[in-house]
Amino acid sequence: MTRMFGEPVTRVEDDRLLRGHGAYLDDLGHDALACAFVRSPHAHADVLDVDVTGALDVDGLVAIYTYEDLPGRLAEPLPLLIPHPALTHGRTQYALARGVVNHVGEPVVMVVARDRYLAEDAAERIIVTYRPLPAVVGIPAARAAEHLVHPDVPGNVAANLVQAVGDVESALAGAAHLLELDLSIERSASTPMEGRGVLARWDPESHRLRMWTSTQTSTGVRAAVAAKLGLALVDVDVITPDVGGGFGVKIMHPWPEELLAPWAAMLLGRPVKFVEDRREHFISSAHERAQQHHVRVGFDNDGHVLGLDVRFWHDHGAYIPYGLIVPIITSTQLLGPYKPGAYRVEFDSLYTNTLMVTPYRGAGRPQGVFVMERTMDAIAAFLGLDRALVRERNFIRPDEMPYDHGLMFQDGRPLIYDSGDYPASLEKLKKLVGWDEFEHVRDAARADGRRVGIGLACYVEGTGVGPYEGGHVVVETTGKVKVATGLTTQGQGHQTVFAQIVADELGVPMADVEVVTGDTRRFGYAVGTFASRAAVMSGSAIALAARAARAKALKVAAEALEVDAGDLEIVDGIVRVVGSPGAAISLGTVAVLSNPLRYAFDDAAKAATQFAVGDVSKPPVAEDDEPGVEGRGFFSPMQSTFASGMHAVVVETDPDTAEIKILRYCVVHDCGRLINPRIVEGQIHGGVAQGVGGALYERMVYDEAGQLQNASFMDFLMPYVSEVPERVEIDHLETPSPLNPLGIKGAGEAGVIPGAAAIASAIQDAEGFAITAMPISPSDLFELRRRHERAARANGGSHERSTAE
Amino acid sequence: MTEEQLHDVRLTVNGAAHQVRVPARRLLSDCLRHDVRLTGTHVGCEHGVCGACTVLVDGTPARSCLILAVTADGLDITTVEGLTEADGSLSPVQQAFEDCHGLQCGFCTPGFLTTITAGLRRKPDPTEAEAREMIGGNLCRCTGYQNIVRSVLRAAEIARARGSGS
Amino acid sequence: MKVSGDAMLHAPVEKVWTALNDPAVLVRTIPGCERLEATGPDSYRMVVTAGVASIRGTYAGEVLLSERSAPHSFLMTASGAGAPGTVSTEVRVLLADVGDGSTRLTYDADAVVGGVVAGVGQRMLVGVARRMAGEFFSSVDDVLTGAAPVAAVAPGVTPEPGVFVAPPTAARPFGGDAFVRGALVGAAIALAGVLVGGLLGRRRR
Repeated sequence: MTRMFGEPVTRVEDDRLLRGHGAYLDDLGHDALACAFVRSPHAHADVLDVDVTGALDVDGLVAIYTYEDLPGRLAEPLPLLIPHPALTHGRTQYALARGVVNHVGEPVVMVVARDRYLAEDAAERIIVTYRPLPAVVGIPAARAAEHLVHPDVPGNVAANLVQAVGDVESALAGAAHLLELDLSIERSASTPMEGRGVLARWDPESHRLRMWTSTQTSTGVRAAVAAKLGLALVDVDVITPDVGGGFGVKIMHPWPEELLAPWAAMLLGRPVKFVEDRREHFISSAHERAQQHHVRVGFDNDGHVLGLDVRFWHDHGAYIPYGLIVPIITSTQLLGPYKPGAYRVEFDSLYTNTLMVTPYRGAGRPQGVFVMERTMDAIAAFLGLDRALVRERNFIRPDEMPYDHGLMFQDGRPLIYDSGDYPASLEKLKKLVGWDEFEHVRDAARADGRRVGIGLACYVEGTGVGPYEGGHVVVETTGKVKVATGLTTQGQGHQTVFAQIVADELGVPMADVEVVTGDTRRFGYAVGTFASRAAVMSGSAIALAARAARAKALKVAAEALEVDAGDLEIVDGIVRVVGSPGAAISLGTVAVLSNPLRYAFDDAAKAATQFAVGDVSKPPVAEDDEPGVEGRGFFSPMQSTFASGMHAVVVETDPDTAEIKILRYCVVHDCGRLINPRIVEGQIHGGVAQGVGGALYERMVYDEAGQLQNASFMDFLMPYVSEVPERVEIDHLETPSPLNPLGIKGAGEAGVIPGAAAIASAIQDAEGFAITAMPISPSDLFELRRRHERAARANGGSHERSTAE
Repeated sequence: MTEEQLHDVRLTVNGAAHQVRVPARRLLSDCLRHDVRLTGTHVGCEHGVCGACTVLVDGTPARSCLILAVTADGLDITTVEGLTEADGSLSPVQQAFEDCHGLQCGFCTPGFLTTITAGLRRKPDPTEAEAREMIGGNLCRCTGYQNIVRSVLRAAEIARARGSGS
Repeated sequence: MKVSGDAMLHAPVEKVWTALNDPAVLVRTIPGCERLEATGPDSYRMVVTAGVASIRGTYAGEVLLSERSAPHSFLMTASGAGAPGTVSTEVRVLLADVGDGSTRLTYDADAVVGGVVAGVGQRMLVGVARRMAGEFFSSVDDVLTGAAPVAAVAPGVTPEPGVFVAPPTAARPFGGDAFVRGALVGAAIALAGVLVGGLLGRRRR
């Protein structure tokens, strides 16, 4: 039988999705009432009055709710999901605004009506009277704190956190050279093609709530909903339907709408559905990425970093329900594959009157990598050294693994790299992109009047974060294998890769394996899909569950065949004696025999009934045993497992228009062993596209009044096919993880993490001056050119190492 | 009490007639999804940019989120559900996506499938540049487009092999 | 849930008091009132079909008038039940002479609501209640000013004593006896008949 693990198997999800038979949230619940919200048009305002009179005439109106209607725990602020000792001033929103609104888009009034058109009609006619307050927008305004977002949060600082290893000030003082850099990254967002949605059905007869939500964590939503609505956990089902992309934004929970829709369903005795539109996604889901950094780095003549001091400011918007995860990831993953001697990182997480910030693919790493990699380039430029060489000199060596940085990671555990071979990755990358020969490419281009540049960036990513995931595998009497895990899927092909794992572990054809994810009815203990953890966590758990099921099957079969379990193998769903073609029994039959029956429900089941089998000297089910061929497994690692990678980019910039074109995009990627290479490659492609978007196109533009000026696809620019490189050249390294049974590492976010850094590096190489802010548009580049030309003229000639004419 | 006037509209979708009664402002995308109950056409932005809602109207790709259902009376509409072959097998474009891993979450996919189906009818043997051009108006957030471009070329290949014009 | 408001009625206080106590006026002016039946010296039973959108339904209710201090104030206690839900309410009514032959009426209602329609939200309920009250007072005002006469019984219908039925068509001449009976029955029932709410520990205002 072919081994499935490592094979680029065609996805089992595809057939029905290609036929248009997907079941995304809005495809469900045609009988449900619809919701619309009146959302704040102001970034900061007191809510003085809500007048619903005008809405009463709308045909099909069912209900109108404001904060005053919320009972019990629903009237409390939404949960602060991830507390941290440094998060001294955490503030979260109310499900509906309570007297004050803190960002454009904050929900104030909820309308329920027969359909969405009518709900919006009613919402439009509701008059809310606001008293606008000064809005705090952008990091400089937040820091200056002339106005406060929350009156009881001084300086708009939710948290200040310092992590340090070694004595950075001495290291900097003693270093031969010192550089200071100011770097900034703009706000962007996950922007999946499908927005958020919730469908809730309340059954008063059984007193149970059933919800569907387009989420990355069905167990998280279930727990929050049960808590806020005063329901027992066993009375709440949360099912994740097909999800049209998440990219981080859908890990945030509970959205106000995720609480309000089920609450309304209970009140009204009708199913209630909320599906946001695109504008709502822009102004009321979540953003990420905005940070400003100040770096001081001390290094020697060879480019070894002796001391690194990073001070940064993180804009987390009006509320901070997800805690400090993003800036903590920035703080720790900034180090990448390097060992910088002494390191100190300090950040302030700041409130602004803008949409809240929760993780977006990369979750703080793109910012950290941008900072570290610009710093490396700056060091190389200063010393006149090759940029790859400077990095190579600072790498952690393979024989230094596991490497303890002495810092605490986002999972509350020590930052210890378990495996990785950075020098080998760099070698592969240099070869792939032709790093050493690029001089010739550049010269040839220059001769043609063209401007090209090459850049690179390295990153390390902590994947497979805990606390745990679980898996369940059961063999049914038909021989079919049903698998369940609690985390969710948003296009990563979990139904395929987990089936591959089970097919191998159990010895069954993939076609006989069916996988369900994200349904609390099928598996109730889970954390969620984020931090590139699903394959590591659920893959491992499912492998363990399958092994347990296999052991059980062999035990039952051994008894039936009267052989030793050690002499048996399972191939293509048949349990047989190794080397002996005759003695065999199908897994389905084994499942029948594993469950001693009184009642035969079909012909096959007769074999397990009490007069057919059984040893009267023993109980039908042994004391330490259970009926059935099932396995349940949980995987809970000591720490994350660290994937890594490096990207190299060749760009061309137009000397006149400053347009930026990507000529080549090369990726070397180490995510340990690959379950399905095609799916991993797809994840990299997608990540690279988001990296390109973040480097060149995507930014949320808030004006000083806190109005989001580009809250639509017309003005928030995401890459089409024309914006992505024509090829993404990928080479793999596989340093297996020692931390899980499959030896794998996460791959989901890899593509996006170093994108901005690598592209900035290449543009800098093409232009000859430093790129310190992303994204960079042609206009930005044009402006930068002018500024540098002016500066160069003012200084009587160029002083920067120039690679372009 | 507001009350909307309803209009009788006969839609021909994937060759079948559907009689619906809708207000004038009902979008074709909503009508297909909620009145005709063909949910394969997806809504990503409602302002005509993302292309997820693309259907074929008399064979030409059109954004169903920018069409009022009442104006589609008498027009011949093809949605993703209508792309499969008569015997139920996947069309060359659908098969190509499966072969090339051209979809991940699948939300944007119906819009690509209809667009490419029409595109290959006009240009059955595209170059890679032409393939990119063909899908240049559709957004995808998952795949980074690399495998979608491959899918276009593979679809042309499959169509040729099957001897049909797809 | 508390609802309060006021209205200007273009007639002297005594006339207003009389009108508000006349069942023939009430059955005609209470929004959606179909039937009004005296069940005692100070009480009525009525059937009202009223409401807005999902709140709309047919409610059977009882009204009791008390603490009367003619022609200026009284208290009305009412309760109603219908498919969409239930309500019980207390309404305090004050009539004040404005001086130019008009009367200023103020009402203060405290209601508790229950049932399926209970969950439509405070503001919607209050909004609907105020609207119905406004419609009621407006109709009463029309009757007082003669703009909308109260009809005699329709031909062919033999009314039971003490039962008043809403006319099937519009305006009819005013002519009923004035009963010194629960004023603002109509307003109270208007409030009562449409108000629902108060599940899950809703706060009372």
